[in-house]
Amino acid sequence: MFTSVEEAIKELEKVKYIASKEIATTVYLALKLEKPVLVEGPAGVGKTELAKCIASALNIDLIRMQCYEGLDESKALYEWEYAKQLLYTQILKDKLSEIMGSEETLKGSIEKLTSSEDVFFSEKFLIPRPILQSITNNRRSVLLIDEIDKSDSEFEAFLLEVLSDFQVTIPELGTFKTDVKPFVFLTSNSAREMSDALKRRCLHLYIDYPTLELEEKIVSLKVPDSGPRMTRQIVETVQRIRKLQLKKEPSISETLDWTKALVLLGYQDLDPAIAMETLNFILKYEKDIKLAISQSKEVFLN
Amino acid sequence: MNPVINQSHISGKLFEFIEILRDANITISADEVIALFNAVTEIELEEKNIFRQTLKTTLVKDYTDIPVFDRCFDEYFSSRQRFFDGMDSDDLINFTDRVSNNVVNEIDSQLEKFIDSLDPAILLEKSAEEIMQMFLDDLPESDSSGGGEGMGIFRSRGGATGSYYSRSESGETDQKNMDEILAIIKNMINLKITRRNIGKTLKNREDFLLNKFIYQLTPQEIKEMREIVNRFGQKLKSRISLRKKRVKHGGIDIKRTFRTNLQYGGVPFKLFYKTKKIDRPQLVVMVDVSRSVNQYSRFMLLLTYSLQSLFSKVRTFAFISNMVEITDLFREMDPERAINSMFTDINFTYGWGSNYGRCFDQFIENHSDALTRKTSVLILGDARNNDNDPGLDSFQKIHDKTRNVFWLNPDKKHLWDWNDSLASLYGYYCKEMKEVNNFLDLSGFIDKLFIDTK
Repeated sequence: MFTSVEEAIKELEKVKYIASKEIATTVYLALKLEKPVLVEGPAGVGKTELAKCIASALNIDLIRMQCYEGLDESKALYEWEYAKQLLYTQILKDKLSEIMGSEETLKGSIEKLTSSEDVFFSEKFLIPRPILQSITNNRRSVLLIDEIDKSDSEFEAFLLEVLSDFQVTIPELGTFKTDVKPFVFLTSNSAREMSDALKRRCLHLYIDYPTLELEEKIVSLKVPDSGPRMTRQIVETVQRIRKLQLKKEPSISETLDWTKALVLLGYQDLDPAIAMETLNFILKYEKDIKLAISQSKEVFLN
Repeated sequence: MNPVINQSHISGKLFEFIEILRDANITISADEVIALFNAVTEIELEEKNIFRQTLKTTLVKDYTDIPVFDRCFDEYFSSRQRFFDGMDSDDLINFTDRVSNNVVNEIDSQLEKFIDSLDPAILLEKSAEEIMQMFLDDLPESDSSGGGEGMGIFRSRGGATGSYYSRSESGETDQKNMDEILAIIKNMINLKITRRNIGKTLKNREDFLLNKFIYQLTPQEIKEMREIVNRFGQKLKSRISLRKKRVKHGGIDIKRTFRTNLQYGGVPFKLFYKTKKIDRPQLVVMVDVSRSVNQYSRFMLLLTYSLQSLFSKVRTFAFISNMVEITDLFREMDPERAINSMFTDINFTYGWGSNYGRCFDQFIENHSDALTRKTSVLILGDARNNDNDPGLDSFQKIHDKTRNVFWLNPDKKHLWDWNDSLASLYGYYCKEMKEVNNFLDLSGFIDKLFIDTK
């Protein structure tokens, strides 16, 4: 556990995540208060990365669940292993009839059956999915619920029980509760708005594109081979490009890709000609590239 | 100060700040307040960034509210040093030499109590001078009940015996000090009042802009509006998409259910449902961009494009006396720039003034492929046809081919049909012709579009 905001920054830096004070504060508070965090922000600013890095900084497991449209409890929580149940009834057929054999009446056999049917709805036949895993494994873990905005609102509603009480109810077995709460991170690209009930239970963190200094730090940490000079040039250029009216602005991950590529190509210096040739690393639309080139005088200064 | 007082002082501030955020229309529930107070004990409050983020992360759950939060926070928590506004720096140095910080603090807390005791309505109505007068009048009483020593200054206000700080015996200095103190108090009151009302002020400003007649907006206000329209659009969008999500499940998907359950010997263990297609309306927007309604068209276009993803298809046309498709323009650029370039790039005018009839004819001739039974047509214009042929045949065709036609008319209702307006002639074929004055009308209309078209 981090003992202060500063320590959170330091520990995260050790696993190569540069956190701003804002990010660190929220993370620190979330761990202290044991509250889930809803992380929002444009694509590629390191929302998912944050959860991963916290797990590795604290040296605990990361349980990840990717959301998509149509995701339901059976994929997120638990599922009965129907096939196994069927198979077992087949195999145990003789045993079953042996038990039942002594009974004369239908009523009697049903009573007998119900008295032992729990066998088939026990944890043996249960496949735990990510959320149940994070609750039952009795170790602290980071539960990352990625791109929650892609899921349906029914799923979101069902998350509420998990997020507020960290418990899961399985009708056949009862309620699972945990003393060691997982740290829950939900990420969203705000494709749709989350319900108020969900938001109320979470701390909220909005990660925006980083400042020049922060981005420079990130790049030099992740791609140390690019010298300070080129790093600065690249970051400055990207920051200027973000100010243009683009269809899709380059994110941090794209800055990193670009830097890596330029290092691999053996450049030590970003001169405008090279920059314009390799623009496709950071801009993903033909129109954006054209626009950036047409504005080249303002964008590529070095 | 002992820690207990300190605590309650801080929580007082926090509650006040929460109130301000609520005034500014940010929803804060008890859960959030509890989270904040739990969080505050865990962090060091001295560092401003951490403090700010603590408030932000616990209270503000909607990222579109972040700019509003930042503004409130800056106003509320950074106003202290500005007590000394309006005094020149020499005076200030002199002043702080002579008067210890205690006095300022003392006055500050007295004022705080005083303002707390006032009816909030008074704060809105009275000027700072009036409130100061009330404050000074109020003092003797609070003094007798054991007010702070610093208040001694005012015991003989107006007289020259300002007691507490006047180590120099000169009456002239006293008078000067008196004036300075009064100036500071006035500043304090001003700040306190504005601070308490930041939330309301922001909200009022927003309401004011949204409700203002669009044609009366000044260029400065239009700039301000952009951010608001953006935010508003986002909220509207998420509200509508939430609403849409509710109707999702259809009947059982027999094919898929059987196929999957073959592995269980055809016993339907797992059921699959048909997902109902989300019904997204197609939209054809026609806007009159002649000068009389230009400003409306601008906002209409801005709004439709911020909501674009909600419609399965949007095609936009602009006209004055020629009908021109501008869909592509918006696909390429952000709406703001598209609108600006629209007027320079494209020739709308043929002859003089708007000509609805001619434009509807052109539309039927060239673009009737845009019209299907799923299409809603949205027309924005004042229906002032400059005595040209109304082109009713074509307009009727538009009506017949589509689901419904809506007409937004910026003219006041009593002016419809007056002079060259053909409002009711066209209105007959529309599902609704509606008067729009301000931005709220516009957005309310779009919101309604999604309910009506079910």
